[in-house]
Amino acid sequence: MRRHRKTVDLFVEIATGAIVLLFLFPVLYLILTSLKTQVDAFQYPPVWIFRPTFSNYREVFDLYPFGHFLVNSLIVASASTVAAVALGAMAAYALARFSFRRSKDVAFWILSIRMTPPVAAIIPIFILMRMLGLLDSWASLVIAYSTMNLPFATWLLRGFFSEIPRELDESALVDGCSWFSAFRRIALPLAAPGLVVTAIFVFIFSWNEFLFALILTATKAQTLPVAVTGFIRETGIMWGHMAAAGVIIMTPMVMFSLAVQRYMVRGLTMGAIK
Amino acid sequence: MAPEAPDVQPPTRVARSVHPTIAATPLPQSRRPIARVPVWLVFLGPTVFVLLAITVFPLVYSLALSLHSWTMGARAGWRWVGLQNFAMVLRADPYFWTSVRVTLAYVGAAVGLELLLGLAIALLLNRRADGRGGTVQTLLILPTMMTPVVVGIVWRLLYNPDLGFLNYVVSRLGLPPQHWLGDLGTALAAVVVADIWEWTPFMALVMLAGLRAMPRDPFEAGAIDGASGWQAFRYITLPLLTPTILVGVLIRLMDAFKTFDLVFVLTKGGPGMSTEVLSYYTYRYGFKFFHMGYAAALSYVLLAIVVIISQIFVRRLAHHEVEL
Repeated sequence: MRRHRKTVDLFVEIATGAIVLLFLFPVLYLILTSLKTQVDAFQYPPVWIFRPTFSNYREVFDLYPFGHFLVNSLIVASASTVAAVALGAMAAYALARFSFRRSKDVAFWILSIRMTPPVAAIIPIFILMRMLGLLDSWASLVIAYSTMNLPFATWLLRGFFSEIPRELDESALVDGCSWFSAFRRIALPLAAPGLVVTAIFVFIFSWNEFLFALILTATKAQTLPVAVTGFIRETGIMWGHMAAAGVIIMTPMVMFSLAVQRYMVRGLTMGAIK
Repeated sequence: MAPEAPDVQPPTRVARSVHPTIAATPLPQSRRPIARVPVWLVFLGPTVFVLLAITVFPLVYSLALSLHSWTMGARAGWRWVGLQNFAMVLRADPYFWTSVRVTLAYVGAAVGLELLLGLAIALLLNRRADGRGGTVQTLLILPTMMTPVVVGIVWRLLYNPDLGFLNYVVSRLGLPPQHWLGDLGTALAAVVVADIWEWTPFMALVMLAGLRAMPRDPFEAGAIDGASGWQAFRYITLPLLTPTILVGVLIRLMDAFKTFDLVFVLTKGGPGMSTEVLSYYTYRYGFKFFHMGYAAALSYVLLAIVVIISQIFVRRLAHHEVEL
């Protein structure tokens, strides 16, 4: 029996290792390609041992305005995150704390907004931004991303707020705090981990977004995901550059997802599964 | 995001007026509503306002637009056509129905396989001791957290007919090289594979969370009654896991219908219309041909499809008393 147990355990370990390798391999292949010279990249069959070079990374910044796109991405994602989390926290607190009629409906409405395919919303938003003269500006993307992520932020934060015992803010009220300062001094600090987790998720989603960035921006406010698809057309495909750009775009997101690893499932299912 | 500043005032005022009442009553019962005045309005107001502005406006505007014919950039303005756009979409546009078929095949294949593979991986991981699980899960979730455009780049690299890794494997097996993304027979499957790679880890972790949260008692009772491994899975695990499965599938369905980035980077809808999902079809009408009225009608039809399918799942979830 014990021997059997051990064999099963060994099998489980091997299978797990194989699966992890299978899912990581494409990423490793991208990283390898980014470290190859154009000559090595075009070797066929693919070479596995070569002199790694960082020239692709340098060239991405030298040959294209990659730094400019990087700054755009950073600013747009940060501003959207701040706006979505600030508004979302207030709404979430209301949903978690106050009983009012139809709170379920509001909650469901917020969720159903997330169902809307972006392509259904992009036409009117594009026309609106054009009328406001906001096309190809940071503002257009910040407005789009913060509102797009607001339902998500509200929903996720609602879960975090309802985990704080009600008695805490109630006693603050009894002690003479106003609602707003009970929110600010008691609920917000206690929900700090939730706020950070939510902020990281919103940042990741904004950073990764493609369709709105494609349609609302041209060159001035273009973000990284759109810029990198531009590489395909301009140069044929310089695989080394593409790979290096891809690695640069995904690295911060990988770091962030390591940071929220414990809350990954909760975030990705909007708190439905903890 | 302007409404923030004025919000600070009202709650203070409201609270002051409410306060004596709270102080006068003994201790408030903990489950009773704590405020009778709509303070919530002040907290919820800005979000509801923003969402109304940014969602109701596009919906109404889109609906109006869908009843008109308008080509952006043309000299002519909006021309009222009534339901003609919708009639065109549903009755006279064969490409639309092709796109519907492509979309359903894509969503069905991707979400279905992600569920099966995710469940299998979760069952496997669930057999491992807890402690080491963290690293494996962290590594596994990488594809899901990656920027979708980069997922596209990765797979374009792997599928590349001349120097891609996949054709290298194929040639080692003694088969002729394939034009994975350029061949009518393989293009859709190739995009689906990329989607499966991206999202299976998500499904697996969701299922794993569901498995880990299960009570032990039913399994112990089952073991005493002599249930086989398969019976335990079929009659205990699966029913207990149903709400989790529904949540995972619902979320994936909503997102799979939105798929745009992968198609844009990998195939641009081609060859022919073999990978032209509805998102991409609508995008082309709107932003390549600039037939805005028609694209608005298309987007409404897409929205209707997503809402109907999601509703089925939301109902089922309500049935299982899952709070979503």
